[in-house]
Amino acid sequence: MKIWKRARQAVENSKEKPSPPSHQKQLAPISLDALKKDLTDIDDAVFKEYQTKDGLVTVIYLSSLIEPVLLHKMIIFPLVNDKGSVMNTFDAIDGSNKQKLLMAIVNGDTVIFHHNKQQYLQAHTFSPPERAITSSENEATVLGPQDSFTESLTVNLSLIKRRIHQTGLKSKDYTIGQETNTKISIMYIEHLVNDENLKRLQERIQQIDFTGYVDLVIPKQLLEDNPYSPFPQYGATSRPDAAVNSLLDGRIIVAMENSQTVMICPSSFLEMFNSPEDFYNRWTTASLLRILRFMGFFITIMLTPTYISALSYHPGILPFELLIMIMESRSRVPFPPVIEVLFIELIIEILKEAGSRMPTKIGQTIGIVGGIVIGTASVQAGLVSNTLIVLVAVSALLSFLMPNYLMSNASRFVRYIFILAAGLFGLLGQMLAFAWLMNHLLNLTSLGTPYLTPVIPRSWSDLFDSVVRFPLTFVQKRTGMSRAKREKKPTK
Amino acid sequence: MDVTKKKILNGYHVIFLIQNIIVGMGLLSMNNSLSPLGYSQWWIPLLFGLVANLTLIPMIWLGLQFKDDDLYTIHEKLLGKWIGKSLNFILLIYAIVLFAAVIEGYLELIQISILPERTITGHLILFILITVFIVKGGIKSLARFCMLTFFLTGWMVYFLRWGFEDGEIRHLLPLFNFTGKELWDATKGGFNSIIGYELLMIFFPYIRKPEKAFKHASMGIWFSVFFYFVVGIVAVMYFTEWQLEHLQFPVLKLFQAVDLSFVERIDKVGVTLWVFLILTTAGAYLWMAKKGVDSLRNKNSQYHIYSVAILTYIVINLPISQTVRKTFYEKTFFFSYGFILWPILLCLVHLVRRRKTR
Repeated sequence: MKIWKRARQAVENSKEKPSPPSHQKQLAPISLDALKKDLTDIDDAVFKEYQTKDGLVTVIYLSSLIEPVLLHKMIIFPLVNDKGSVMNTFDAIDGSNKQKLLMAIVNGDTVIFHHNKQQYLQAHTFSPPERAITSSENEATVLGPQDSFTESLTVNLSLIKRRIHQTGLKSKDYTIGQETNTKISIMYIEHLVNDENLKRLQERIQQIDFTGYVDLVIPKQLLEDNPYSPFPQYGATSRPDAAVNSLLDGRIIVAMENSQTVMICPSSFLEMFNSPEDFYNRWTTASLLRILRFMGFFITIMLTPTYISALSYHPGILPFELLIMIMESRSRVPFPPVIEVLFIELIIEILKEAGSRMPTKIGQTIGIVGGIVIGTASVQAGLVSNTLIVLVAVSALLSFLMPNYLMSNASRFVRYIFILAAGLFGLLGQMLAFAWLMNHLLNLTSLGTPYLTPVIPRSWSDLFDSVVRFPLTFVQKRTGMSRAKREKKPTK
Repeated sequence: MDVTKKKILNGYHVIFLIQNIIVGMGLLSMNNSLSPLGYSQWWIPLLFGLVANLTLIPMIWLGLQFKDDDLYTIHEKLLGKWIGKSLNFILLIYAIVLFAAVIEGYLELIQISILPERTITGHLILFILITVFIVKGGIKSLARFCMLTFFLTGWMVYFLRWGFEDGEIRHLLPLFNFTGKELWDATKGGFNSIIGYELLMIFFPYIRKPEKAFKHASMGIWFSVFFYFVVGIVAVMYFTEWQLEHLQFPVLKLFQAVDLSFVERIDKVGVTLWVFLILTTAGAYLWMAKKGVDSLRNKNSQYHIYSVAILTYIVINLPISQTVRKTFYEKTFFFSYGFILWPILLCLVHLVRRRKTR
């Protein structure tokens, strides 16, 4: 904490410094050599001198951040040919502030030094190679728009802003990380967003302290209310339509440079089971799928633990025929059910992990090795029962039903707690673990709003868009989760 | 934002808190403890509800006089520091003993029906841990848990259908087939199933609309009475008088009557799901004990929960014979009968003091 406070102090001090000289007297500009000294050993830093009508100029830029054609078209060609007053089109930059000059260069701007006037000018030329907008791979849908966010913040902002045409949509930029100086942008609709939420989020963004902001997932973990929880407390999406839906609901979207997903806050437990496609499907299909995903979460954490507690503690709860069937298939298995379940669950985890780490071409064979060789062979060898193989496969599939990947990871983690509890105390252990889970979820908050929102009622209208998605005419109010300023959606 | 405010309980929180604190082990063995009344016992829960509702009035009145104080502070304000503190100490012991009694009663049932080959140590520790987790979030966390518990366990009423179908409706009559002494015996043994609403005096200062607390608390009481009443009717219809007298947990036997194609013994699921009801009851008493320690030491600290929990663990593991323990717990339940009448006396003291100051 002390280190953090000292760091904050240092940042604040450095912020205060540059302001006084501006209204006192104009300081002498930094010499070109001083700049060169700071940019030594950066081999893509370019210092090029051109002779123009007004005298000698030096153009400084990082060639890796700027497209050469653009640079030539925008700066060098007009400068050398001197089309009118080219110099006036560039922004003046405070030449005495070395830090600002260096930041401009590092950000991909071109800095032009005018030798006669001893003046620095700046042109926005940041144009790194970018990925094209493609369809979302992780959240693919059949219906609806197919575009998805890319790693460029400007592209992402444009994808959102081309869907909401109004001045109420604000996007505020912050720079986080002393080493990386990453740009992070908060988007919200001013007349809808809850001010308290917004203030809280802004304060937290200014407070977080970490070195490597390489993806939005990292600040997301730092911004969460309870960092120890296995559950993700903010929504994440790589689809602009989902982001726009949340914005219109009065929520806040956080996007970051170099990050392919945006963060939706606040977000509730039930929304982790919602897919943007739910609004494109008919309400019947959407409701069916949502119920399936929601039940899937509870079945996936309960299925194999119930197998354990039924077989090791309470064989009486199974009907006679079913018990005979399971016992027959288990007749050659020498382990207690807990070991059996843990063994096969771990194998599934290993298969999944190996499949995702391997190159795609080899990954296909992994499916064959895992599914056929290990599955069939372990049953024939008598290591596990084939009933269990079915149960484990079903619960593994169910855990991938959730559209939110972090949520499906959370469900897999929670399942192990249930397996251990069932192995220790049978059904009682399962119920105690369930009580723990429920208590944990009830106490979780997302940006100060209860995570289990429709269960802790904020507004009853939430129930129209929860596990069952009612026809759109019913979904007339903004969700209680977002605590929007205007609760009712406008009719015209 | 919940932390800074003191008034945190809404109306529905109060309803579910009261309802879930009341329903606990009492429901499982109610028909057995009411068995002196024979078949006429089924409407007795209504009588209990009426008594509970009447004794609720002085509690609410007292709470409205001291809107920001719980019972511990009221004691100190009305009776002076020393008498108040010693009374609070008794209340603290009462809360701890009831916490222990609730847990032990349930774990005993678990040992009989679910895990017959185990000692209770393992699940006792787990149970206390989870209660501590729930109580750590404060009374609102407990209230939320109560709401969830209501929806997770309330549907079990449906299991009574099979008992109702197999039962004999003629058992319900006559209505008054008992003597005064039998009624007294049954009340003595059975009224503890409705004990729990006295905790209202402890969480009263947290209620957002104290004026409406009476309505909400009464609703909570009558929700529980409804469950008791339904169970009472079905149990009387399903069992013979001999069974009512000798079955310790008639509700479990009713669960065993359930006939489903995919589950054979639903009573095991029922008993384990009952853990939610026990957790809420036990959690409420743990919270009361925590508040007691707070008032004795004049400071708020989360460590009080841990110390009370460890103390309870020791109390449950004390090497005392089962019979001594049983009678001790029973005596504590009798003490609670006094406890629900206690606010009447406090109201009188308050009236006298108020007149004096005028």
